[in-house]
Amino acid sequence: MATWIKQNCISFFQLFCIKVIKNGRVPQHLAFIMDGNRRYAKKLSVNCSAGHVKGFDKLSETLKWCLDLGIPEVTVYAFSIENYKRSTSEVDALMDLARDKFKRFLDEIDQINEWGVKLHIAGRLSLLPSDLQVILSKAMLATKNNNKLRLNIAYSYTGRDEISRAASHIVDSVQNNDLSPDDIDEDLITQTLDLGAPELLVRTSGEVRLSDFMLWQVSNTVLYFSDVLWPEFTIWNLLGAIIHFQRHAPPLPEEKENSPVQQKFLKKLENKKWQELEKIISF
Amino acid sequence: MLSKLLRQLLYILVHLVVKILVAVQNVSRRLCSKNCNLSKEQVTKRDVLMLLENVPKMKNKLKHLVVLADSNVHTISELAQLVIWNLVVGVPYVSFYDVTGSLKKMEEELFYEIERNKKGIPGCIKWSNKPDLNGYTNGIQANTVFVNIISYSDGKPRIAQCIKLIAKGDLQCDRMSKEFTAQEFGEAFMKLNPAIPDPDLVIFTGPLCCTFGLLPWQIRLTEFIQVDVHHNININCYLGALYKYNKCDQRFGK
Repeated sequence: MATWIKQNCISFFQLFCIKVIKNGRVPQHLAFIMDGNRRYAKKLSVNCSAGHVKGFDKLSETLKWCLDLGIPEVTVYAFSIENYKRSTSEVDALMDLARDKFKRFLDEIDQINEWGVKLHIAGRLSLLPSDLQVILSKAMLATKNNNKLRLNIAYSYTGRDEISRAASHIVDSVQNNDLSPDDIDEDLITQTLDLGAPELLVRTSGEVRLSDFMLWQVSNTVLYFSDVLWPEFTIWNLLGAIIHFQRHAPPLPEEKENSPVQQKFLKKLENKKWQELEKIISF
Repeated sequence: MLSKLLRQLLYILVHLVVKILVAVQNVSRRLCSKNCNLSKEQVTKRDVLMLLENVPKMKNKLKHLVVLADSNVHTISELAQLVIWNLVVGVPYVSFYDVTGSLKKMEEELFYEIERNKKGIPGCIKWSNKPDLNGYTNGIQANTVFVNIISYSDGKPRIAQCIKLIAKGDLQCDRMSKEFTAQEFGEAFMKLNPAIPDPDLVIFTGPLCCTFGLLPWQIRLTEFIQVDVHHNININCYLGALYKYNKCDQRFGK
């Protein structure tokens, strides 16, 4: 059974509705703040980790809907750096869940490659347990060349941390004379970050803040706040969000060309990131 | 071929139905609160009393409120009244985010409009970037509001500027490990910013919620609350937003 992209979760009627909605503009990058797993667990009076397992199942369903909708990039906020402050037992349970799911990801790698999913973990990996770092790096390297659905998982992530890490890369490159200070501008920073700009961001469970997610990237994004808890999110909620997007989305901003120096820096940075992942798995 | 046509037709139909439903909902909402939609020219005594009556019910004290101000749809008079309401409620920092880029040019007009509305209301209004325009206090134990206009350039371009200064070695930024932490970079970045608390609440009008590039570093915990589905700013909607804000409790990732 496919763990990551749930099969047979769409009825014929739902598929038809997806095809109808697809006639309009569909966001090319969709982001989720998957909030409400713990409230859901509390509601059913089960423990927290059961809520998180349910939340993961919902993610695999959502990925299937996104594939059918033809959305090429999906980003989800799975674990914030702030979440390390939660109780040890809950953090451990979350890490175990990640271990389990990413091991399965590697077991099912043939099927994942067939679907063309490219996995990207955005965040400060060095804060994670080293065995998990290895698993995540393997998963990213194994799907490096896929291009049908880009799945970004923000894990051990905050938006401020992402900006700070990008700043370090840029400052280092100036010190190595790969960049001059005058090459530094807004667009260069945008491309140095882990994540690209989403067109639609959905946050569940009724909270109306970003909680340090994609702070830089959301300037032109439609923010959609839904009251349902993440494990109770349905395809109708998703289609509702997309209809809202179709009604109100601002036009896409124009993209600017990079200078050759900037281009070279970005290429080098990308290579460096892959090399670091290779290094993690070779230990 | 036929099914594709059918799907396109249904797509148009779905959007039409949604449009009608939203319109009906808006009309019914408007009928329910008939009197609240009349924008007034000036802050009245009744407004002040209404605010004072509601203030004690607000447990979460707002420190910094940001208004997404769109000069195409909001009048200077509406924005000025907002400042006065916040003065009465006791919000110390009120900022306008200049979405269209033309509010900055109307700053003086806004200043006079606020002064006109302030008559008879105790308190002090200060302009963050214009100390010479500062109003005066009349009355004891009065509130003070710092008014500020924020523009796009205070956001991403300032972060870029900060990185540039660090790269040149003109700005000190400590680094304990290979990469800056958010705390280390934040400390350096704060040196380029005025000492204003991060926004607690952003209020906006209209159906679209978007930051439009508002202070990316500072909005990590900011709540985004819609004041009105249309572009009206009136006292009932303002109080409604404050109530909505008060219901939320912050969890700080825990």
